[in-house]
Amino acid sequence: MTPQEIEAYVDASSAALGLRLRTDHRPGVLRYFALASEFAALIDAVPLSERDEPALSFAPVSPREKEQ
Amino acid sequence: MSAEALLKQDASAMADAVRGGTVSAVALVQASLDRIAATDGRVNAFTAVVRERALRRAAQVDASLASDKGMRTRELPLLGVPFAVKNLFDIAGLATLAGSKIEREHTPPRDDAALVRRLESAGAVLVGALNMDEYAYGFTTENSHVGPCHNPHDLTRIAGGSSGGSGAAVAAGQVPLTLGSDTNGSIRVPSSLCGVFGLKPTFGRLPRTGSFPFVSSLDHLGPFARSARDLALAYDAMQGPEGGPGAHDPGCAQRAAEPVAGALALGTQGLRIGVLGGYFRQHAQPEALTAVDAVAQALGASRTVELPMVEAGRAAAFLITNSEGAALHLPDLRRRAQDFEPLSRDRFLAGALLPAAWVARAQRVRRRYAEQVARVFEHFDVLLAAATPSAATPIGAEFFEINGHRLPVRPNMGLLTQPISCVGLPVCAVPVWGAHPDLPIGVQVIAAPWREDLVLRVAAALESAGVVHAPVAALA
Repeated sequence: MTPQEIEAYVDASSAALGLRLRTDHRPGVLRYFALASEFAALIDAVPLSERDEPALSFAPVSPREKEQ
Repeated sequence: MSAEALLKQDASAMADAVRGGTVSAVALVQASLDRIAATDGRVNAFTAVVRERALRRAAQVDASLASDKGMRTRELPLLGVPFAVKNLFDIAGLATLAGSKIEREHTPPRDDAALVRRLESAGAVLVGALNMDEYAYGFTTENSHVGPCHNPHDLTRIAGGSSGGSGAAVAAGQVPLTLGSDTNGSIRVPSSLCGVFGLKPTFGRLPRTGSFPFVSSLDHLGPFARSARDLALAYDAMQGPEGGPGAHDPGCAQRAAEPVAGALALGTQGLRIGVLGGYFRQHAQPEALTAVDAVAQALGASRTVELPMVEAGRAAAFLITNSEGAALHLPDLRRRAQDFEPLSRDRFLAGALLPAAWVARAQRVRRRYAEQVARVFEHFDVLLAAATPSAATPIGAEFFEINGHRLPVRPNMGLLTQPISCVGLPVCAVPVWGAHPDLPIGVQVIAAPWREDLVLRVAAALESAGVVHAPVAALA
């Protein structure tokens, strides 16, 4: 992402989330978002197929057994 | 031996002394409280001391020893041993701060965290709660709300984080045993910088019930101590599935206990031990490389191996942490961002905005990376890497230089630990002295999932050989 794209995305997404960024917070947020975008580029470069599963798993929750 | 002198020993020696009647649990706990009072003005490891509770509990231990239940009490592995926990563990009646100002307003829990209960059931005595980076998002424990935690071996330097108080309290000889959490390195980094032993078990091994989460899909809990045998005793006491009614940790594998303390003396004969190269050597200062080489030489490990996809693995851990950690606090970030730790607030705010597609892909890359790492363990039992890129940096330092690159300290002190916890491997951080002129630095002893026995066996062998040790800081 270019610096301009990052600024546009951060301003739009923070407004959509109701996360008002104070002027003294915004430069740091832009810097950290840029860092995250560099990491995103690294994972984007990993070739994955549609069948590559995520590392998350879910265990269904059963109701408690009634006491005898 | 006096209680004060015993405080410089490890927890096993303390429990033996209480068991043998050389010292009472009350005297030992009182000595710990006195040491905290005498030193914590300089170290700032503790955010709360539960003096009355600790003395009451110690008196119960002594009374039980003297009663007709004495035989059974004597068998408790951590008899009378004072311990403390990072302040994200619930302590009944005390607000669970998780290093924050915001959580001060919340109602204190009625019960202790599961692991606090398990350690007390093993005879240990809780004495207090420990300093940490706010919401565990940091590697330095420069907590702006309560002040930085100071490294007991050089008070001008950081203790590491986010479990800085947990590392510092052990190094300062305030308690021989503490608990911390590790999402991306928060047990191994302070262990390294404070020169103590730390165990990050396999992801899902120990229940996190009753602890304040940071990133549920990456959070681990584990102990700090001054010997491998203490880590093993504490770890064994905390293993096992959660039974009975009440909340359970959905991230806990609920495996049956697999005790390791009895296997520590098995040594390293026959183990295939490799040294991590590539990324792990490129991101390390000379003292870190010297420490790894010293450990490798002592173990006769000469084969170097690279972890495939390691940079992508670290990237995945960063993105998952940034997004999931921030999402947890979104309501407070909306309402009162100014009350967050200034050193991590902007990182949290940015994390709240990450596109879902990045995070979903990060979890898929994490799985692929875990599969690649598992293949490496088809050829090795144990892998070695430095725990931190450098020894402890000065408090307030913004940058450090690694291999010619100037990097911010706070997000990068964990760059050697993050790719390992990303895939949940068990690690024992072992303290090496002599690689840096004055300071300790840790080495990660890493094994395949569920093989905590191997990392603790190797740690015990290195300790027996005098290659690693965790002295109490002089704090003159």
